[in-house]
Amino acid sequence: MTEVIYWSGWIGGLAIGTYALFQFFLTGKPLGVSSAFTDTCSLFSRLPFFQHHRSRGLSWRIWFILGIPLGSFLATATSPGPWIASLSLGPLYDSVLPGDPVAKGAVLGLGGILLGYGSRMAGGCTSGHSISGLGLLNPPSLLASIGFFSGGILMVQFLFNIL
Amino acid sequence: MKTAKKTVQSKFTGPVFLVLGGLFGFLLSRAGATTYDFYAQLFLFQNFQLVWVIGVAAGLGAVVNTLARRKHSTKPMASILTQETLDFTGKPYTKTLVPGSVIFGLGWGLAGACPGTALAMLGEGKLGSILTITGFFIGTYLYGVQESGKMKRSPSST
Repeated sequence: MTEVIYWSGWIGGLAIGTYALFQFFLTGKPLGVSSAFTDTCSLFSRLPFFQHHRSRGLSWRIWFILGIPLGSFLATATSPGPWIASLSLGPLYDSVLPGDPVAKGAVLGLGGILLGYGSRMAGGCTSGHSISGLGLLNPPSLLASIGFFSGGILMVQFLFNIL
Repeated sequence: MKTAKKTVQSKFTGPVFLVLGGLFGFLLSRAGATTYDFYAQLFLFQNFQLVWVIGVAAGLGAVVNTLARRKHSTKPMASILTQETLDFTGKPYTKTLVPGSVIFGLGWGLAGACPGTALAMLGEGKLGSILTITGFFIGTYLYGVQESGKMKRSPSST
């Protein structure tokens, strides 16, 4: 696994908080990620739900999610260690997830399905609700954030302490 | 005047948001949000790196947005680049918000990532994120199938 440099949590928080404000005041679009998947599906799907949300060409959200992996690649390129492609998640997760790559991939894919489906039901993900929404002191976003953390605690406690 | 602004906006949307996405991806990595085990440690109450990240980011936003909102109510502000009037209204409550957020949380704990961080993990060579990102599209598509069925039954609702 690629070794990455990371800052103290509060410095990371200041940086991401400043970034979210910067994006909002610059473009008028609050930070958010998960709606980009709806926009992407609307490029390919004729289902009424996706046609209803259709925007012309590539939406700002699609450009935004294309940028994210480029930026994190730059973050590893400026870290001392080499860039390593790996299916490892680190010692803790690797100790509870299946060792078989296919089974492991299936578990991570299932996690992704829950994230994709859940974020549409909740109207946003960690970026939209817990950074943008809490930053607006918006009660529904607080409720969603409590739900995110509750689900996370339930799942991880189950994986590490019950399973 | 208005049309000129619109042209500028559409012309620069792609490059601007590609760079913004890059900046966000870089910061997610530096904040430790692309480190899977921080999620395990967070939900096992062992390490609060990511609570600090989210808490300080949200807290800073709350202070600045509260001040900006106050100013906005007397003299409306527009976005710097696109001259769009800023909208400080948050996302609305819906009856699926709470169950949806818990389902999201279960996926968060299982995959050790959320939508933004899985995309950032991809750039770091964490290959499991490919499956997780594929899952995002499947989950979003399933939601679209379900909602499209509802739209056919009652065309007025969205």
